[in-house]
Amino acid sequence: MTSDRELIELANKGDPDAFEALYYRYRDWVYRLAWRFTGNQQDALDVLQETFTYLLGKFPGFELTASMTTFLYPAVRHISAGIRAKRRRFASDDEILGELAAPEVDGGADRGRSELAAVLAVLPDEQREILLMRFVDDMSLQEIAIALNIPVGTVKSRLNRALRTLRDDRRTRDYFLE
Amino acid sequence: MTETMEHFDEDLDLRASSKLSADLSSLFEPPRPVPPEVDRAVSDRIRRHFVGGKPLEIQHRRFRWAALWKVAAAAAVVIFAFSLDLTKKREPATDRPALTGIEATDIDLNGRVDILDAFTLARQIEAAGRIEPEWDMNGDGLVDRSDVDTVALAAVRLDKGVL
Repeated sequence: MTSDRELIELANKGDPDAFEALYYRYRDWVYRLAWRFTGNQQDALDVLQETFTYLLGKFPGFELTASMTTFLYPAVRHISAGIRAKRRRFASDDEILGELAAPEVDGGADRGRSELAAVLAVLPDEQREILLMRFVDDMSLQEIAIALNIPVGTVKSRLNRALRTLRDDRRTRDYFLE
Repeated sequence: MTETMEHFDEDLDLRASSKLSADLSSLFEPPRPVPPEVDRAVSDRIRRHFVGGKPLEIQHRRFRWAALWKVAAAAAVVIFAFSLDLTKKREPATDRPALTGIEATDIDLNGRVDILDAFTLARQIEAAGRIEPEWDMNGDGLVDRSDVDTVALAAVRLDKGVL
């Protein structure tokens, strides 16, 4: 598979197919992330398009200094905030989690997720965000630090607190049993 | 400890069941996938960006080719015009669609319908490249050379040509 850097190099030379390959490689990730920030499909699709328009504007001459996810993450975050503010349909993460946690609380798997959502809801935003970056986006601590422009020590500290909360809560401690 | 004073020296224990990742992912899964029309819109934007954003050398070569095409087209139109007896009123040709009502498409997406659209369409047909159903200008169910003629004539008639 062609690497991101190779595709970027080709796109910098004017190859639209290379950019399109990057789009399809990161489309779903960007869309999921945007949905996480906005909680609304239409807004998430707008963020998706604006993010790639923003990236497109960097070509030719784009240089990737870290990974694509560390470049795209702050862009998606910023654009999502802008779209939410513009539409004045601000839905907090807690509200999104509340909606997600609601259905079928007496079902097996759904109940587990519902309880996880309930515990997530009590986490401070900055801890929840890093937890999701690590366990949903599979980003390394270094990548998270770059994407959020914070020291790695701060990433570790926030993640440690988030994990401790999950470990200490009877509803989520099963995730950590050996 | 305040946020700015956070410092973490211990080894961070990241061990957790893979179910944690799976459940977190499913909690934050959008209800529907990206619709194909969004992909098409992004793809169109990519094509338009790179058509205008090629390196200088390629742009220059494209420009010279475009200039040659324009000269050739101008000559063709002049020859075509002289080949017609413009003083004689004719009945509309039955084998050629009436141009009235034809909404020529901006095929090369340069913001106007002009002779370059005819060239773009011709190149697409010859190269067996991307063919859009709306390029069937004469409505015969095919996108072929006759559609190129239709666009060319429409461009001249519409007086929006680049010549």
